Amino acid sequence: MKTLVNVARYHLADRVTYLALPWGILAFSFLINVVISGRLPSPQGDYTGGLLTIYAYLLVCGALSMTRALPFGLMLGVSRRVYYLGTALLIVALGAVWGLGLTVLQAAERATGGWGVGLHFFRVAWIMDGPWYQTWLTSFVLLVLFFWYGMWYGLVYRRWNVVGLVAFIAAQLLVAVVAIVTVSTMHNWAAVGHFFATITAPALIGVLAALTVALGLGGLATIRRVTI
Amino acid sequence: MTPTISATALGRRYRDQVALDNVSLTVEPDSITGLLGRNGAGKTTLMRIVTGQEFPTAGDVRVFGEVPAENDAVLRRMVFVREEQTYPDLRVGHVIQVASWFYPNWSEELAQQLLADFELPLRRRIKKLSRGMRSAVGIVIGLAARAELTLFDEPYAGLDAVARQLFYDRLLADFAAHPRTVVLSTHLIDEVADLLEHVVILDRGRVVLDAPADDVRGTAMTVSGPVTAVEEFVAGRPVWHRQRLASRASVTVTGPLDNAAQARARALHLRLEPLSLQQLLVHAAGTSADEKVSA
Repeated sequence: MKTLVNVARYHLADRVTYLALPWGILAFSFLINVVISGRLPSPQGDYTGGLLTIYAYLLVCGALSMTRALPFGLMLGVSRRVYYLGTALLIVALGAVWGLGLTVLQAAERATGGWGVGLHFFRVAWIMDGPWYQTWLTSFVLLVLFFWYGMWYGLVYRRWNVVGLVAFIAAQLLVAVVAIVTVSTMHNWAAVGHFFATITAPALIGVLAALTVALGLGGLATIRRVTI
Repeated sequence: MTPTISATALGRRYRDQVALDNVSLTVEPDSITGLLGRNGAGKTTLMRIVTGQEFPTAGDVRVFGEVPAENDAVLRRMVFVREEQTYPDLRVGHVIQVASWFYPNWSEELAQQLLADFELPLRRRIKKLSRGMRSAVGIVIGLAARAELTLFDEPYAGLDAVARQLFYDRLLADFAAHPRTVVLSTHLIDEVADLLEHVVILDRGRVVLDAPADDVRGTAMTVSGPVTAVEEFVAGRPVWHRQRLASRASVTVTGPLDNAAQARARALHLRLEPLSLQQLLVHAAGTSADEKVSA
């Protein structure tokens, strides 16, 4: 346990990557959206995808944790397994705190009528527009999901280089195509639509959490034979 | 006593290349072993397998009696300083601090002393360091960790002679005060020859020599003098190498020379010179190197 915490501390020593950049980028994206929203006539309010920046950043950050930070991490006398779990736990802790931050910002946004300009930055229609604990839980799960997904990308790159990375992406596209073709041939789009129309927020969080765990296990299986 | 490292028929094959071939060796506790060989001889591969960073394709390796790969109990007892260690984008001080959290025997006092000795700027980012300074960071971690098994793989790329001497001095001093098992791979053989208690020479992935350093030093002698006298003296002895210049010859023979033989050499006015470790390596490392010797 102590070593797991030390691995997490090792990452946190890089304060720029783990503290300054994610919130700096989000703040920048937010400011731009506020400015734009203030210039637009928008009686319905402005819906932006600006919140996506922090998730996109975490994807990259996860990949870096398994590429740039890995060689020195393994020099420190820890196994791949402990390095991976320590890193994965770090983002669980960070995700819980950051998710709370996003929830607070969302509440502020709601209280100020969209920062006075009708901006929906921290309120995302449907998935992040319910009670505070749902927003917090959804944010938390999504933050972890993107980071762990990034970790897996980084490990695939470490282990099989660019060719492996391309194959990894192609395989995911293939799965998506197979799913689409299957639904189409079975004329089941109505059922899919029904599923998304009726799924409750807790059920959606459950689905995302299951996906997150699957991604985490994928990364754990990949790091087992990574060499440096 | 369990050997610190024991390898049995260890092999590592990459697609079209054999990096290690049937390597068997043991490294005893509390000793300094030199792992020598040419570029691509398999030194780094062997050390990576010992530290669990790489996996063997054949054979078996034990460290402290256990398989090292993914074995945290074993891994935390060793430190491996690589030639071109990749560091994260941190300041020197942070890297040293991070290392101090992980090694159970870490000596902060030694770390601070070494940082001062090598004049490392704590506030500077690792990225901005010169090659030699980056090597020095690895050396500080490797020594201050005081790990039971300390492996240095060509640790001083870019370090000047003064800094290298500093490394040798600090290594010896700290080794004397806190004995541990050290494995040192290097090309600067003559510089480290006096440090080593045991020598392992790898060539093309195979162990060609594995012996106590004192035994190695007496393995081969170069006999030089007038051709006739030299030839008379070396008759019946295994000859490694012959060189002739006009009426003088210089012949390298193997095997120990007893007192009688040495007395006879003196009587014939022959010069006897033991081969240095470096010359031995050049011989042991095969034919292409042989040409270099006679040149």
